[in-house]
Amino acid sequence: MSNEKIQFDVVVVGAGLAGSTAAAIAARHGLDVAIIERGRSPGGKNFFGGALYTHSLEEIYPDLWDRKPPLERPVTETGFWFLSKDGMVKATVQGGRINNEPIDAYVALRAKFDSWWAEQAEEEGAFIIPKTLVTDFIYEEGQVVGVTTDRPQGDIYAPVIIICEGVNNILTQKLGLIDHDIQPTKAALAVKQLISLSPKTINARLGLPSRKHGMAISVVGDVSMGMPGLGFLYTADKAVSLGVGVTLHALQETQIKPYELLQRYLEHPAIAPIIEGGQLMEYGAHLIPEGGWKEMPKLFTGGAMVAGDAASMVNALHWEGTNMAIVAGKQAGLTAIEAHQKGDFSAQTLSSYQDGLQERFVMKDLRQYRRMSKFLANHPEFMEIYPTFLNDAMGNFFTSFGKPKRQLYKEIWRSLTSRRSLLKVIGDMVSFGRAVIGI
Amino acid sequence: MIHLLVSIKQVPDTTNIRIDPETGSLIRKGVPAILNPYDAHAVAAAAEWKRKLGGKITIITMGPPSATLALQECIELGADRGILLSDRKFAGSDTWATSYVLAEAIRKIHEEDPIDLLFFGKQAIDGDTAQVGPGVATRLEFPLITYATNIREINQDEGFVLIERKTELRTEIIRATLPALLTCEKEIAEIPYAALPDLIKSLRYETETWTAEDPVIYDETKIGLKGSPTKVSKTGTPKQHEPGETFKVAEIGLKESVDTVFEKMISNSSVASLWE
Ligand SMILES: Cc1cc2nc3c(=O)[nH]c(=O)nc-3n(C[C@H](O)[C@H](O)[C@H](O)COP(=O)(O)OP(=O)(O)OC[C@H]3O[C@@H](n4cnc5c(N)ncnc54)[C@H](O)[C@@H]3O)c2cc1C
Repeated sequence: MSNEKIQFDVVVVGAGLAGSTAAAIAARHGLDVAIIERGRSPGGKNFFGGALYTHSLEEIYPDLWDRKPPLERPVTETGFWFLSKDGMVKATVQGGRINNEPIDAYVALRAKFDSWWAEQAEEEGAFIIPKTLVTDFIYEEGQVVGVTTDRPQGDIYAPVIIICEGVNNILTQKLGLIDHDIQPTKAALAVKQLISLSPKTINARLGLPSRKHGMAISVVGDVSMGMPGLGFLYTADKAVSLGVGVTLHALQETQIKPYELLQRYLEHPAIAPIIEGGQLMEYGAHLIPEGGWKEMPKLFTGGAMVAGDAASMVNALHWEGTNMAIVAGKQAGLTAIEAHQKGDFSAQTLSSYQDGLQERFVMKDLRQYRRMSKFLANHPEFMEIYPTFLNDAMGNFFTSFGKPKRQLYKEIWRSLTSRRSLLKVIGDMVSFGRAVIGI
Repeated sequence: MIHLLVSIKQVPDTTNIRIDPETGSLIRKGVPAILNPYDAHAVAAAAEWKRKLGGKITIITMGPPSATLALQECIELGADRGILLSDRKFAGSDTWATSYVLAEAIRKIHEEDPIDLLFFGKQAIDGDTAQVGPGVATRLEFPLITYATNIREINQDEGFVLIERKTELRTEIIRATLPALLTCEKEIAEIPYAALPDLIKSLRYETETWTAEDPVIYDETKIGLKGSPTKVSKTGTPKQHEPGETFKVAEIGLKESVDTVFEKMISNSSVASLWE
């Protein structure tokens, strides 16, 4: 056993999407990169909805399709399902620009995808150290110069550390980049089930023409029981992924158990027939950082940067997290290269990481949507009243045969105004607009 | 400096295994392969003594190329070198042929770099035969200590080991001359959380493969299916035993009980022969 110092050019914490991307970029440039991952294998425990976005994958590997990524189905139909207590209005889009090659989004299973994504980083030359938990940092003269791990003789040195530890950002906190733990109002707990069904059954029940067609659906309304949150449905090749995420705060307030929420969603009369007879393959819960811009830590300090969920880089309304993690990972990798070229790892040099991100959708969108999580928390009507109203209105419209239509419109009007005054409706729309446009 | 050798096997994780009810054989498909648990404890014991005395650990295994993973795990636990005996010609070897292959390979290692102590697991969990360790010891004419639970002392200067071994009734303490061969129970050592340098070494490990010709040339009639006298005619799950007759001492009295049992034993030919 040697007592030599373990030294790399770059240490990346976490082999998720952000981590494996940062490592690939730095290793491709010839740097000696280690990725430290606490799981038995990269991605082993990672999960999401969910869909990956082609633009981000191709940005890292322009020859993506030659590498045969383990993706499930392309998303060829996407949109919203609005649930009332016992009904549903569907607003989805298919065909047209959705079908433009390359397809913009692909459903994936993360355990498979993340280990593949990490293998690509290995091929670029990164060295993955699994089964090892990073516990803290090593400092010299106020600058981060390494990390400690939970193993005997477990110190690893590198002049630049890229923290991609995911939503539970303990290390980011230890480093003082943010002064508090993740807030219950700023994090959603998502629970989901992956249910296996034959591709034929999936296609028949969801009206998909073939296995080369898939769905990504955001489900709004009854699914979150009035709490700020969303449900989802994604089609893998031989399974459907269904889940629901609501803020931790709302769960605490209402005392509703996450698995009850999910169970109720799966038993909804519009949902149950889709998964009937399917077999449960995976059941899990995971946090989603929803604080966005307002909960973003400082992104760098002398010798360290933070990327992905750990840095609150999620646009919850658009289900964009993976692409932000990948782009931020890339930017951090590029900055690590730049720092090595200069031989300077000070905060000043690493600030170009943040400058780079400002130019991209990551910081632009997060800034624009900075009021979104507060807006959703303050406007439960978007989860409750409006979806129900929509169901009511359409239900009325299509059952008004043989009735004078003036009465129909009156009923629809009343169904809205009995739930919420016109003034409030206008107010809601204005604040929704503001939250989206970001003014 | 001490040279320890551990012989290991990669096995299917039998805690995850099912038996095909029709053929009666193991369904190996989709079952993860692991380092045989007894072997892992044997490696841990070797690593403890390497730490105490300084020296090195060589691991040897016979198996398919995928057994590299098991060797890697041994390096992680503190071993220095891992040798994979892998060749199509070895395929189908039973315990007899396997112990021949291992013994010849170990003889080669021993010639180049004398070994002080050899470790085997008590048995492999996929076959449970407990024959390979003793087979190797016999072929190499090394003292054999089976079911070792504790190494009290390794004395290189005087050339002996003091080993505790478990029998059904008691613990024995055995002194054997070096080089000796142990087959290990799990108590022999706890499996430690590997140190980071060892983990990194294991991740960088590149397989050292020995074939049926290089560097040791084997007698082809003694290896593989050809060299394996064991013939498995049928495997299956044993039928549940019918409970035997019961005699209640309190009801029929002590003398009557002893006589009855004695008569039953006499009438059973295998026991009867003892009395002739
Ligand atoms: C239910 C759900 C649905 C989602 N749907 C979508 C979607 O459809 N599209 C989309 O783009 N995004 C979606 N997201 C968000 C997306 O999953 C995340 O934004 C993305 O995974 C973030 O990647 P990351 O690399 O930052 O973190 P992670 O993927 O969480 O990776 C962090 C890694 O770091 C490791 N780690 C953590 N701490 C340590 C430590 N101390 N030492 C060593 N290793 C450590 C972890 O084991 C893990 O492998 C969804 C999220 C959830 C929960």
